[in-house]
Amino acid sequence: MSEFRGYIIRRTTYAMITLFLTITINFFIFRVMPGDPVSIMVSERILKPVVVEEVRAMFGLNLPLWQQYILYIRNLLIGYLGYSFHWKEPVINVIMERMPNTILLMGVSTIFSVIIGIVLGVLAAWKRGTKIDVTILTSSLTFYSLPVFWIGMMLLMLFGYYLGMFPIAGTMSRPPPEGFFERILDILHHMTLPAITLTLISYGEYTLLMRGTLLDVLTQDYIVTARAKGLPERRVLVRHAMRNALLPTVTAVAISLGFIVSGATLTETVFSWNGVGRLIYDAMMMRDYPVLQGAFLIISISVILANYVADIVYGILDPRIRYGGQGA
Amino acid sequence: MSLQRLMEEHIKSLREFANTFFKNKFGVIGVAILSVFVFMAIFAPQISPYNPMDVKSIGVGKPFSPPAWIKIFNKDIPDDLVFGIMGTDELGRDIFSQIVYGSRISLTVGFAASFTAVFIGTIIGLIAGYYGGIIDEVLMRFADILLIIPGLPLMIVLAAILGPSIRNIILVIGITSWPSIARIIRSQVLTVKEMKFVEFAKAAGCGDNYIIFKHILPNVMPLVYVNAAINIANAILIEAGLSFLGLGDPNNISWGMMLFFAEQYQALLRLAWWYIFPPGICILLVVLSFIFIGHALDEILNPRLRLRR
Amino acid sequence: MPLLQVKNLKTYYQTARGYVKAVDGVNFQIEEGEVFGLAGESGCGKTTVALSIIRLLPPGGRIIDGEIIFNDRNILTMSEEDIRKIRWKKIAIVFQGAMNALNPVIKVGDQIVEAITTHENVSKEDAWKRTEKLFEMVGIDPSRAEDYPHEFSGGMKQRVMIAMALACNPQLLIADEPATALDVIVQAQILKLMRELQRKMNLSMMLITHDLSIIAETCNKVAIMYAGKIVEYADTKRIFREPQHPYTRGLINAFPSIRGPKRKLISIPGTPPDLLNPPSGCKFHPRCPYTNDKCKKIEPELKDIGERHYVACHMSW
Repeated sequence: MSEFRGYIIRRTTYAMITLFLTITINFFIFRVMPGDPVSIMVSERILKPVVVEEVRAMFGLNLPLWQQYILYIRNLLIGYLGYSFHWKEPVINVIMERMPNTILLMGVSTIFSVIIGIVLGVLAAWKRGTKIDVTILTSSLTFYSLPVFWIGMMLLMLFGYYLGMFPIAGTMSRPPPEGFFERILDILHHMTLPAITLTLISYGEYTLLMRGTLLDVLTQDYIVTARAKGLPERRVLVRHAMRNALLPTVTAVAISLGFIVSGATLTETVFSWNGVGRLIYDAMMMRDYPVLQGAFLIISISVILANYVADIVYGILDPRIRYGGQGA
Repeated sequence: MSLQRLMEEHIKSLREFANTFFKNKFGVIGVAILSVFVFMAIFAPQISPYNPMDVKSIGVGKPFSPPAWIKIFNKDIPDDLVFGIMGTDELGRDIFSQIVYGSRISLTVGFAASFTAVFIGTIIGLIAGYYGGIIDEVLMRFADILLIIPGLPLMIVLAAILGPSIRNIILVIGITSWPSIARIIRSQVLTVKEMKFVEFAKAAGCGDNYIIFKHILPNVMPLVYVNAAINIANAILIEAGLSFLGLGDPNNISWGMMLFFAEQYQALLRLAWWYIFPPGICILLVVLSFIFIGHALDEILNPRLRLRR
Repeated sequence: MPLLQVKNLKTYYQTARGYVKAVDGVNFQIEEGEVFGLAGESGCGKTTVALSIIRLLPPGGRIIDGEIIFNDRNILTMSEEDIRKIRWKKIAIVFQGAMNALNPVIKVGDQIVEAITTHENVSKEDAWKRTEKLFEMVGIDPSRAEDYPHEFSGGMKQRVMIAMALACNPQLLIADEPATALDVIVQAQILKLMRELQRKMNLSMMLITHDLSIIAETCNKVAIMYAGKIVEYADTKRIFREPQHPYTRGLINAFPSIRGPKRKLISIPGTPPDLLNPPSGCKFHPRCPYTNDKCKKIEPELKDIGERHYVACHMSW
């Protein structure tokens, strides 16, 4: 059991170090951008003087660098990420307004991609070499090769502009409909095409991963033992093969979940979906550094967190780690 | 071993490899499709009726004209409202020419960016895996940080800062893609390092450089090739994405940029399918060819069949 | 009626460069309660014989010809369902190198219970009790049935495999190099265990190994395999006292005897043949000190030289 504890401790330490490094790098990167560091955080031309003063004070912009760093950390802990030049509100607000949209879109797409991917991957591995396998492989590889913004545009043109079945832009209608239930439906209606787009290009990765892992597992000795025991093929597949093949897949899924927050910039652009991905692009174009810095930070933190959770979950699921070993 | 013998052996194993490779359906299709585009890129001036970079090519047809062959379906359309094989864009330029010349951008960026990433990634992976210890820790932490920072957003920022040019795009993609390759190579190096022949080489007094390049690298190369193919595919997709966002090089219109302009000039609203369909299909096909080739290589070089004793 | 009769078994593997003739016309039989040894160098096809019997060849392997009669039924013509019923319940197998033969994410007890409940109508609780008894029988603390495979040492894993193989009281136990991956002391323990179990349960056993000393200790009858064929076949005592085939002689000479006079160890020169392109005529002729022209051209058949001793060699001794 102490082996497991050791594993947890190591993973936690690693996550904390990475977190610390990321935050620090984030601090420095935006202070070495072209232009003087002060103008990264405030723009005296654009923002009102009272706001400029507040930001200066919160970040200690006239203080020595190490003091700025301390303030930076403190600000992080209280959730203060600066003030947006372009949107003229606190960065955290700008990001959080859009975060739910991104999480919704990416979350739904990821869930569908994973489920479809696993099912097809298992099917392809089980029926290896048959037409089913080849079809699944070909379609997975082909959809993976699609440029996401293009397929988005095509779907939009066909179902949005030409057939008029789906709205052509935005997260919800303007003005939004009355009633809670109607609003939900409205959002889902807007979300359909972008979600389909994202799912289409993403499922292939999970399919290939599942298929590959399962094929590797199926060559292992314990699978031969299982068959030699006279077990029906389905049981061999599900109880023996899948259990082992799912481990790396779960890890990959958990890591993907970390990237949900970064949004799908390209898809969000095509469909004018009000999410974090689009935000980063807009902020860059507007040279809105506070928003950029804040977004990068939040995304990085969530990725580190997701990786950490993935490691822990893997440790729990794999008895070799959970129960440590003594023999060879 | 004499140079001649060495070359003969190389050619023989190359031929054997080619035989196996072309038995794989994915490999064959991949190479076939790729050849079409390589041909297109090399002979662009000969194939293409106009040079899209030439100012004279503006306005050769009416803006947003559909391709000429739709007259087969609708005989009533007047002649001056259609143009060429693929119609025209918002400036009345021939789209087919842009497609043909666009292949040059995609392939160049794909190869160059991928080569950069694979080169850096392999070297770092080799060093980190072989020497281990502090060097490994530092290099891998560095790679991890790069992996954690969201890819496309980072590239957007870098591209916007560095300015729109082909060279910068190649640089940006190369710099952000090497970490994942480095990890994979390092993994493989760790496995190969444990093999007996490495121990023997060390015992025989071989220097580190020698061992790395003569013993470990050849065993890692197959993995490098598979990853290179996939990497080229990704590089092309990323270039297309960045161009679509308007960060591409306006002096070299790539397929992604065509879609950028299409979006900017309301091609969707005008239902100008001839503007939207070709660039995307080309990107798809080129990427697909590399993905297929990568998959074929993976199947060949990664034996999942073990003959038991 | 012998328990198992293998007649003219031919199993080939299809590879990119042609057919590998792993088993090329093999004949033998095993009586009830008998321990039969199959000996030969690595790669001579012994494991393929075992896998053919339970029809679990790896991809690329095909049984081209022959009959395998078990309990009066031909295994090779049975349906997939029927042979699944026979697997483990009638014929169980212990693989070589139990390192990876157990599923790493399932408790060992559960893996044995699974074997029992698949073939017998027994409740999980009863199956678990039986599993604990099996553990006792092979010398492992029954409480360890709750552990995972990686928590066992190599020798103990092998014991677990043996316990699992005996779970359904099979008629025939095939043991493929059961002690090869273990150190000599553990090896001796495992073999002693197997001998005891075999006696107690009157098991029929097929012991596959390259180690002749194991065969000498454990088996009643021996078949010596070379390049996919059986070259000598007789009772153990006869083979050791009067080996006829040059290969057998080479093998026996290659193992030092502690008691006998000190003599030079003669190993068999040359290397095992390439089963993709085996030598013409007698497959052993390139390494045989007594080769003549006939050996190079004509393949010798197994001849009965009396007292149930068969040899495939052109020389008459």
